[in-house]
Amino acid sequence: MTKAGMTQPGLTKTGMIDFRDVNKWFGALNVLRDITLSVEPREVVVVCGPSGSGKSTLIRCINGLETIKDGHLIVDGQRVGDPATNMTQLRTEIGFVFQSFNLYPHKTALENVTLAPIHVRKIPRAEAEQAGRELLAKVGLADKVNAYPAQLSGGQQQRVAIARCLGMRPKIMLFDEPTSALDPEMISEVLDVMVAVAEEGMTMMVVTHEMGFARKVAQRVVFMDAGAIVESGTPDEFFSHPKTDRSRAFLSKILRH
Amino acid sequence: MMWQQFVSLAGSYPLALRGLGMTVVLSLISLVLGTLLGFGLGILRTGGSRLLSSVIGAWVDLIRGTPFLVQIFLIFFILPEFGIELDAFTAGVIALTNLAACFICEIVAAGIRSVPSGQVEAALASGLSRWQRMRQVVLPQAMRIVLPPLVGQYVLLIKDSSVVSAIGLTDLTRVGWLVVQRVPNGLLVFFLVGVGYFIVCYPLIMLARRLERRMGAAHGEVQL
Ligand SMILES: Nc1ncnc2c1ncn2[C@@H]1O[C@H](COP(=O)(O)OP(=O)(O)O)[C@@H](O)[C@H]1O
Ligand SMILES: [Mg+2]
Repeated sequence: MTKAGMTQPGLTKTGMIDFRDVNKWFGALNVLRDITLSVEPREVVVVCGPSGSGKSTLIRCINGLETIKDGHLIVDGQRVGDPATNMTQLRTEIGFVFQSFNLYPHKTALENVTLAPIHVRKIPRAEAEQAGRELLAKVGLADKVNAYPAQLSGGQQQRVAIARCLGMRPKIMLFDEPTSALDPEMISEVLDVMVAVAEEGMTMMVVTHEMGFARKVAQRVVFMDAGAIVESGTPDEFFSHPKTDRSRAFLSKILRH
Repeated sequence: MMWQQFVSLAGSYPLALRGLGMTVVLSLISLVLGTLLGFGLGILRTGGSRLLSSVIGAWVDLIRGTPFLVQIFLIFFILPEFGIELDAFTAGVIALTNLAACFICEIVAAGIRSVPSGQVEAALASGLSRWQRMRQVVLPQAMRIVLPPLVGQYVLLIKDSSVVSAIGLTDLTRVGWLVVQRVPNGLLVFFLVGVGYFIVCYPLIMLARRLERRMGAAHGEVQL
């Protein structure tokens, strides 16, 4: 590092998400190893790899749910982990969809969607509710506006969770295995919503093993193993012509199901 | 003999009402203040600062680990040595508020810790501030865990308030001591004192039981 400003990597680049030599440890475990990855605006990147390879940790760093030890991570032109960066503000630009939905159980579907727009974006309640209803209709849940999460199926809950993110009109959407906790018959209803979001030009990073989704909307597939990015390519390159033994072994496992 | 005692007891009813009033007023003020303080401490206890959390934890342990009578004596008899004069009522309110706050702090902290971390992460990820996360996401869910033991704690604290009679406050218990000097039938007098406390506490016991049953509901905010 020399003078500040001169060496701020990424500030001059257009990458929406820019990892530069990022490392992270959990105790002695080097959970992210020299990660360098740039995601362009409107790009959809699918992240896959065996369980425990660091996929969740990777995308959780982007909105500061995890902190990085060294390297640089620049999101929407702001340096994550820099004391000068207002993380709360940056998070309003990043939607995060969890494997386990994490809807607020004491709030209705509509209240889940409008909470942050009303309290963080300071949008008037009536306006936020109107927008919330439209979003829920868009994810196919117009009739579930007043339902509580416990009254919804997993697929419906995950669609509410996606609507909840979209309600903030984010620049980036992150998905952490959004369909892994779902019964098989509910997977496609969630993937359809994600495809629609991608086709509207959202910048997305999606941790998933759904090849159909990747082939349909992803520009790039990134394969992780033991904390490192081992391989990266177009969905067709990766799924049809994997280059490494590790990716071949991984693909043969997920294809068997 | 018996008849005389009854007449004498009946004549003491204004005093008994005064005692009941003192117990109710003292408890009410202390429980309201103690609840506010207890929630504040409980939130800080689970908040970011390790130091603050252990300071509060140490204070709570100290208060929970010493007799209430000793705490009241310290406040009423020792503080004046340092130039802080308190009347008995203020001393009683301070002591009982502090005791309530310490117990409630731990109940609230346990409730907050019971909220799954995914809830906080979802709230964080959507850009809610620390206070908004607490107010909108964590506390409403923690209340399900907090309410039944909280109301149960109120009952215990109302009964603990009898200790203020030791610094001369004319509460229900002290009225018992006063009356028993005129009516030498301790069994009868303190039976009636017990009835007085029970009348105050019983509705709360019922409420606690009702809340416990209601906590089974799968969703929705807790309504009393
Ligand atoms: N909070 C944590 N503390 C310690 N180790 C963790 C923590 N979170 C994840 N890990 C470990 O880091 C590794 C990567 O985890 P994760 O990013 O969840 O992998 P993936 O999402 O690819 O399954 C795993 O070995 C996991 O056990
Ligand atoms: Mg994971």
